[in-house]
Amino acid sequence: MIVEMPDSTTSEISRKIDQLHEERGESAQSRVLTLIISTTDAELENALEAANAASREHPCRIIAVVPSSSRTPIVDDDGTCHPLDAQVRFGADAGAGECIVLHPHGGLNDHLDTLVMPLLVPDVPIVAWWPTNPPFNPSADSLGRMATARVTDALRSDSPAATFAELRENRTPEDTDMSWTRLTVWRALVASLLDRPPYTPVLKATVRSGPAYLPAYLLAAWLALTLKVPVTLETDPDGEVVTGVSLWREDGEMSLDRPHEDKCIISLPNQKPQTLSVPRRTLEDCLSEELRRLDPDEIYAEVVDKGWDLVRRPA
Amino acid sequence: MAEPKPAQPQASAQQASTPWHNPLRDSRDLRLPRIAGPCSLVIFGVTGDLSKKKLLPAVYDLANRGLLPVNFGLVGFGRRDWTNEQFAAFVEENVRAHSRTPFNEATWKFLSGGIRFVQGTFDDPAAFQRLSQTVSELDSERGTQGNHAFYMSVPPRAFPTVSKMLRDSGLSHSQSGAWRRVIIEKPFGHDLQSAKELDRVVSDVFDPGSVFRIDHYLGKETVQNLLALRFANMMFEPIWNANYVDHVQITMAEDIGIGGRAGYYDGIGAARDVIQNHLLQLLALTAMEEPVSFSAADLTAEKTKVLSAVRVPHDLAHTTARGQYAAGWQGSEKVIGYLDEKGIDPNSRTETYAAIRLDIDTRRWAGVPFYLRTGKRLGKRVTEIAVVFKRAPHLPFEQTATRELGQNAVVIRVQPDEGITLRFGAKVPGTAMEVRDVSMDFNYGSSFTEASPEAYERLILDVLLGDPPLFPTTREVELSWEILDPIEQYWATLGQPQPYRAGTWGPKEADEMLAREGRMWRMP
Repeated sequence: MIVEMPDSTTSEISRKIDQLHEERGESAQSRVLTLIISTTDAELENALEAANAASREHPCRIIAVVPSSSRTPIVDDDGTCHPLDAQVRFGADAGAGECIVLHPHGGLNDHLDTLVMPLLVPDVPIVAWWPTNPPFNPSADSLGRMATARVTDALRSDSPAATFAELRENRTPEDTDMSWTRLTVWRALVASLLDRPPYTPVLKATVRSGPAYLPAYLLAAWLALTLKVPVTLETDPDGEVVTGVSLWREDGEMSLDRPHEDKCIISLPNQKPQTLSVPRRTLEDCLSEELRRLDPDEIYAEVVDKGWDLVRRPA
Repeated sequence: MAEPKPAQPQASAQQASTPWHNPLRDSRDLRLPRIAGPCSLVIFGVTGDLSKKKLLPAVYDLANRGLLPVNFGLVGFGRRDWTNEQFAAFVEENVRAHSRTPFNEATWKFLSGGIRFVQGTFDDPAAFQRLSQTVSELDSERGTQGNHAFYMSVPPRAFPTVSKMLRDSGLSHSQSGAWRRVIIEKPFGHDLQSAKELDRVVSDVFDPGSVFRIDHYLGKETVQNLLALRFANMMFEPIWNANYVDHVQITMAEDIGIGGRAGYYDGIGAARDVIQNHLLQLLALTAMEEPVSFSAADLTAEKTKVLSAVRVPHDLAHTTARGQYAAGWQGSEKVIGYLDEKGIDPNSRTETYAAIRLDIDTRRWAGVPFYLRTGKRLGKRVTEIAVVFKRAPHLPFEQTATRELGQNAVVIRVQPDEGITLRFGAKVPGTAMEVRDVSMDFNYGSSFTEASPEAYERLILDVLLGDPPLFPTTREVELSWEILDPIEQYWATLGQPQPYRAGTWGPKEADEMLAREGRMWRMP
């Protein structure tokens, strides 16, 4: 159910939500967090789809804020101002929570923090997510400042490299970029390569990926930092994502290759190659993983702060 | 005062004995899942109900969640004359019917590549030779590296034969660096003596650290949450003792009858089937002191300690109750009585309902009775632990105001509808002062994922990882029998258990047992 609330106020929205809860006989108390999405009209539905799916694992209230680029207020002929259009989604149109979409106009765009404040679920963490272009400094952003955890996605921004450089510059322990989340499955696979004998040190490593693929740089940085060995980045002109990783130990090369979307081939010294199903991670998978732990990710911090400069990236 | 010892030599000695550590695994890296190492799982009794409904789907769900290694094999051992492909089709059928996560072709393709079937009976040495050959083939073809777990989903009388065959065929022995583990299901014997005998048989073949006894209740989220509730919070532990607690009720009620288990159930009964394992484990977790850590050794130490402090009352006539279900209506379905069930001796004295009182002789629990009850064909399917508190010593209200006020309670709902209920008094809205019981609910499903893993997923993964905290030890099993044996011996001297109408909450005897002590059973 989608309830359109043009020309609305936050207290009207709160009342509407309470009323809908009461009608449906459910309680709002079991929400475990508030997820604030700061996005654009073009990205809105895509982001909500992922957030709604993630809310089945983490029942949350979703507040999507779509700031308007213009600061000109919408004013009637008689001078009355209409600063806010809203929408409340429930049931089949939301996930396991409720979803509020806010379209602020005019000067309200400069006060987004006090706009969402009356709508937050009491006493639970707040997560801020920028599905595409993040602010220059997320922790200083009016919405970002309120959040317990801030999630950005440099890869989906207009210029991934430049965005990530800024994020790295302004990073606080509460910030994570989804480029890192996208690697979890790869990292687990690579780690499991070392769980087998002989338990000798790794001598060198290679990461293969499509051109200028940000997560591949992070993967290489992680390997360089934790294994303390030289890590080479190789570009696969046809690839889009991470397409392979190789580690060398004294008994030879162990490699993981993902030539197709969902298949990974594992080759080990003196063994027949094995094929494993590794589907590409969806936005929903990544968001769910981000919501699972809201405390600072120390490993990510080390990779970004110390590991990043250990790897030579193609210019 | 002695000089502090130089740390250097100690540290280096320790370093020498420290096992190899994977540099890519960091305890602070909470994103990386715990994936089992290369291994295979061999299931005996693979065509049984447990295997079809729980084990095979759990293996698939683990694979689908990416928690199984690339080098994984699944071997079925059974009497049917199947090829690997026919067995794979059987697995697929059951996975499709019972798995928790959606069916995914790619996962299935990966899993089915490692599926093998070995045809044979438990007493056929040639079949075990074939099994031995099959797992070595998996070692070379799938790279399972000699790590194999054997799941005994077979009746206990088959344990000795299977164990012996595993030993004789050399399957129970691993080369250095590889492991062999055995998983056994309840019942762990039918009394202390048989439990010891069973343990002797199994530990003859496998070393005690490689034997995993599955009590699937311990794999349930709520049971583990009981530890979080007690030891991660400030507000429960201070009142978790005889000063505040009046009594504890632990209930496991089933709405089904004995179904196809007549052969196993008759002569065993409700107490041996459920109280000895599930309920005493729940009692131990509810009553134990705080373990110094959640490692297997520390957790077991506390559970063992509290089980060893359990006292069985002298007057068993008044502190225990037995019942047998009679015909009736279970909800909306007409059902027959126990004695009319197929395969049951019409004079059977086996109880299908058992209730006992236990005391725990520790400072924390002195004088607090623990009432345990279980039964078949009861009102509904429910398992819960209810900690019922004493009444407030003084109620500064008119007597009429608190007439409807019961005792406060913390109820841990184990299944279904996993969660926690707090029961306390609140004022009824209106001009008069009137206090009545209300409930505050925490529901697992609504605060966390809808899809909490099945107990068997967790437990099978723990076995493959070699992580034993959730598995009862031999000592715990023996202590449980020491508690139950005197009660069973007393019951053996009695006649027919009291009949109760199917669909009710058990025999009158059980209600009287609590009424004599001024208490009553909760309606779960």
